[in-house]
Amino acid sequence: MTRTRRAGELWFALALLAFALVALWQAYGIAGFASLSSPGIFPMLAAATMVGASLAVVRATARQAPGGTGRSFLAEVLPARLIMFLAFIAAFLAAMPWLGFMPAAALFLYVAIAALWRRGLVKPALVTALALACIYVTFRLAFQIVLPRGVLIPALL
Amino acid sequence: MADMANFFLAWLDPWLLLLTAAGTFAGIYIGAIPGLSVTMAASILISFTFKWEVNEALALIAGVFVGGVYGGSRTAILLNIPGAPSAIATALDGYPLAKKGLAGEAIGLTTLMSVLGGFIGILALALLAPPISALALSFQSRDYLLLGLIGILLVGTLSGDFAKGAFAGALGVLIGMVGLDPMTAEGRFTFGTITLMGGIHYVVAMIGFFGVAEALIQIRQIDTAAVRQTVSRVIPPWGDVKRYLGLALRSSGIGTIIGALPGTGGDIAALLAYDQARRSTKNPEVPFGEGAKEGLVAPEAANNAAVGGAFIPMLTLGIPGDAVTAVIIGALFIHGLKPGPLLLTDTPHLFWFLVGALTLANIFLLIFGLTGIRVFTKIVECPKAILMPLIIVLSVVGAYAIQNNPADIYWMLAFGVLGYFMKLYGYPVAPVILGVILGPMMDENYRRAMIGARGDPLVFLADFATHPISLVLTVGFLLMLASQTPLWPGRRRPR
Repeated sequence: MTRTRRAGELWFALALLAFALVALWQAYGIAGFASLSSPGIFPMLAAATMVGASLAVVRATARQAPGGTGRSFLAEVLPARLIMFLAFIAAFLAAMPWLGFMPAAALFLYVAIAALWRRGLVKPALVTALALACIYVTFRLAFQIVLPRGVLIPALL
Repeated sequence: MADMANFFLAWLDPWLLLLTAAGTFAGIYIGAIPGLSVTMAASILISFTFKWEVNEALALIAGVFVGGVYGGSRTAILLNIPGAPSAIATALDGYPLAKKGLAGEAIGLTTLMSVLGGFIGILALALLAPPISALALSFQSRDYLLLGLIGILLVGTLSGDFAKGAFAGALGVLIGMVGLDPMTAEGRFTFGTITLMGGIHYVVAMIGFFGVAEALIQIRQIDTAAVRQTVSRVIPPWGDVKRYLGLALRSSGIGTIIGALPGTGGDIAALLAYDQARRSTKNPEVPFGEGAKEGLVAPEAANNAAVGGAFIPMLTLGIPGDAVTAVIIGALFIHGLKPGPLLLTDTPHLFWFLVGALTLANIFLLIFGLTGIRVFTKIVECPKAILMPLIIVLSVVGAYAIQNNPADIYWMLAFGVLGYFMKLYGYPVAPVILGVILGPMMDENYRRAMIGARGDPLVFLADFATHPISLVLTVGFLLMLASQTPLWPGRRRPR
């Protein structure tokens, strides 16, 4: 029986094939075929394997029955909740150089937990405070790990 | 003999004792919480143990590994959600037992047989690693190249789709090539930027592919609810222990052998042992799949025995068998150790320390496994809506802690997103990690072998056929490759 492919599966396979071709071209650029023990040979072998494997994947995926539309891609592969969560992570990483790790992590945890958990605004704040206290004590105080500082409030971690 | 005394080092030093206990305890809970895998935990944890003494890091990691492999069985029995892939077979009969009100007894029996399996795996490690290591001392560069290829090939083929596994393994090798070439200092995939000259740290890739990617997958299934069971008696009846001892020993043997084969881990060991138990048990009290205790004993003894087994190729040949051992091999590299034949020659005291720490972790497993089950059920019910944002924060700390480089955080996120799509579309991510770790080793050994053959491809290829060890490994590699083609008997071209 022919398997039905998931929404976006063929596009992903094609994207990986394109990536593999670029990687092969870049690998060739390292030292070409100057010698069989040059630094570019092994990267070329790896990239060529990727090209061959992704061609096989594209071929197999293209033979499968189409499985979804643009709408089902959003529902199955990139649901709104996941896009929202990724946006929170992106905002967390963007804010970290400015605010520093602890304030940025506090904001991220509070907003993400409040949005995903849906238990009002007080419970997520309590969970966030408890989690951050544990993180600070465990990693900063016990493990002595240096956490990123922000430029706006450098005194705060 | 003096080196063997290190076996008891973790037992006698209170701090190491505490770390092993803490690791085992944490491993049980991490392994038990669906969505948190022992690979994910170990990959995040390793970045924090970066500056620790090697013994401290090994004690903690040994505990997490042993506890994590066992932990998955708890939720498999109580919630019908295997906490780890190695507990998939456990759920088949564990959950039906729990539904009959026998959850406590099932957990008790599971714990006891897991510990027994663990001891057998460690015994095999202690007995077999020194002779294998001695044999491996005669390995040449080309043999290491072949071992690396075999390791990646085996893990890559486990997903069932060879092309996807091969792509993942090659992608890992490519990521491992980024940075300055260690032999000629020539830039590879650096695009002229200083940030990439030092390469991409494999722990960053591990956290991305296992931690972040898994958190993103879990976000999609955040509303999955679990059913709770009541827990009564935990200590199994003596009659049950005696009755299933033979099966547990057989399954432990299977687990040790499967664990020792590069590319197979606790999950395959557990499934094979379950299958073997189903075939060999003529008249089970209860049919398999409906709460047969044999179906619980076999996979649990096997998956914990696979832990000791998995350490054999990792420590003697430097070949990680599966994703978890790939992560642990990374931990050993971080602490300046070089897993491979020289590990037992240069640092035998660390080998015996690790064997002792694994044994101790199994004893802690027995203690923690038979206690605190009611508290446990509360903890594993922690909502994913809280857990997943926390994992992201921990992953950020872990990625940054390796080199205090913010770029590592962005790489981690990029790998996480890529890992999410790969997992979703059926690409295995474990070969990527194996590739990142083994890629530089394979590249170095390939080039050494080629230089040894004076750049002549015919001499290079002839060396694989004219040296006994290389010949055996080459035949093994070619057979594995052939088994993935339609030419192999019983393997048809997919339609």
